[in-house]
Amino acid sequence: MWRQPYFIFGFFILSFFLVGSFVYEWVWGDVPAQTHYLMEDGRAVEAAPISPNWQHPLGTDQYGYDLLGKLMLGAKYTILAALAIAAVRMAIAVPIGYIFGIYFDKQRKLMSSFADSMHYIPLTLFAAYVLTPLLWMPENGFSSTLWERISVQVIIMALLTVPIVSVLIANEAALLRDKEYILAAKTLGAGRLRIIRKHLYPQMREKIAVLYGQQVMETFIILAHLGLLDLFLGGTKVSYDPMFGDPPMSISYEWAGLFGSSFRYLQSAPWLPLVPVLCIGLAIFSVSLMMEGYLRSKNPKIKKAADKRKKIR
Amino acid sequence: MKFLTNFFIAIAGIVLAGSLPILVRGWVEGEWRGRLYVESIRETLEGLWPIGEIAFLNYRAGQEMPLFPNIFAYIVYSLEILFLALLVAFIASLTLTIVTMLLSDSIRERVKMMLYFLESVPDLLIIMLAQLSVIFFFKETGVLISKIAVAGEDQIYWLPVLCLAVLPTIQLYRLSMLTFQEEERQMYVELARALGFSKVYIVLIHMFRNAIISVFFQSKRTMWFMLSNLFVLELMFNLPGIMLFLSGNMHPLGFLVTIFSFFLPMFILYSLGEWFFVSRRHNKAVV
Repeated sequence: MWRQPYFIFGFFILSFFLVGSFVYEWVWGDVPAQTHYLMEDGRAVEAAPISPNWQHPLGTDQYGYDLLGKLMLGAKYTILAALAIAAVRMAIAVPIGYIFGIYFDKQRKLMSSFADSMHYIPLTLFAAYVLTPLLWMPENGFSSTLWERISVQVIIMALLTVPIVSVLIANEAALLRDKEYILAAKTLGAGRLRIIRKHLYPQMREKIAVLYGQQVMETFIILAHLGLLDLFLGGTKVSYDPMFGDPPMSISYEWAGLFGSSFRYLQSAPWLPLVPVLCIGLAIFSVSLMMEGYLRSKNPKIKKAADKRKKIR
Repeated sequence: MKFLTNFFIAIAGIVLAGSLPILVRGWVEGEWRGRLYVESIRETLEGLWPIGEIAFLNYRAGQEMPLFPNIFAYIVYSLEILFLALLVAFIASLTLTIVTMLLSDSIRERVKMMLYFLESVPDLLIIMLAQLSVIFFFKETGVLISKIAVAGEDQIYWLPVLCLAVLPTIQLYRLSMLTFQEEERQMYVELARALGFSKVYIVLIHMFRNAIISVFFQSKRTMWFMLSNLFVLELMFNLPGIMLFLSGNMHPLGFLVTIFSFFLPMFILYSLGEWFFVSRRHNKAVV
């Protein structure tokens, strides 16, 4: 795995953002540099949002905060949240999938059609609808802490597509169950649990890893979409002041929030929404690089395992 | 029969999902609100009747309006964009696949690799780049190729459709490449080649017919992504569609009506397709 250039390159990008994020906070603190206007020869030449220059490589936002600093500070929230959501989802879906695939074969059909119906509900819409009471700040402030909200959000977002993922795994397990070597093991007296542990799991390890990667990518997209709806990771700060209300703001500097609070500046300051989305794209890209590298290291000749998975549906 | 079962399971799923925010709000406040949840489901179902009296908040007019027949304009517009984009994606990806299948193996592998990485482009980026390039083109030449946002009641078509079609095209292209290559290993292709049929003929007539079935069955996931993309698209272009309707009506009844309005045509389309392909396959087996 560590000899695959694809994997190493993807891993490098992702860890650059993660490590950079913690280092930035450690060195410069958790508030990015703020510049209200640029001075040149004693007079102001540009007010916030300032376009990219040497002092601010990615420019600043409408309040004069350095965008690069915000991006680096926010990287850890977005990336860790996406990884965690996908991990929780797999941790729930894999056992359920095995149980349905091995123990309840009749109910598997019913569950399949239930999961099938979820394909008609757009995930973003569903997530936004369910998460609004959690993330939108009530008029008298949040009653929960930031970390409470983040963890509840992670669990909810993980649960949303558990049916779909577990049906995928159940179908896969059911396919493998009828293989001859499993029948042989059964004849020799192996219990169902042993079959899952010793035969099915090792067989499906790669597919589960690929599935995990796909879930991470999907989660990045959903987080970005939620940002567009002003639903930010860990809650949206809403100003209820009727006169001088600020626009809804992200509490952490996570990427979806950076994008969501600035996409109306697309024409006047295109770097503001573009750069966070580019970063999200880069993160997704690095995950797909890592997946490709992983698959190539596992089976250099048949590197189509990822695509075989698709046929089961 | 299977059709009806699936239909009712799907509707039950949507109704159950519609009241989920109650449970979430209860969770935030640290209590289990199972009773309220059941209550909300009951209220939603009761609210459906009489159907003519349902009112909703019109996002643009800023006042309550009766649901019917106003909602049909939203639904029709959204579905038009969705299905036009789907059609464009299908045609484009199948044409590209057929062309690529005629090329050599090494080029095919490279194309597939490129498509794999192109899939990681976020849809938001595509929409923003499209809008920016329209603005840029307008500034340079003074020609506005398309409006980039809807103001008032007018409707724009080709730019949103194009934006919506890009990612599904890439996904379907890769998917159908894989299916066609799978098909190429079948015995009948070798037989046809041995009989002296040309490559173009085999790909177009024999392989296409069989591969299209498999592509159709696998396109459901692409469709699912497209629905999310459509939502974002309507927000970014400010399109007067069904998704924007929902963002003004975030309550169980609004959710139910919205989801149901595009669930129904899509479900019918897929069920018909399934029935068509399956019955054809059976006929073949009999003959």
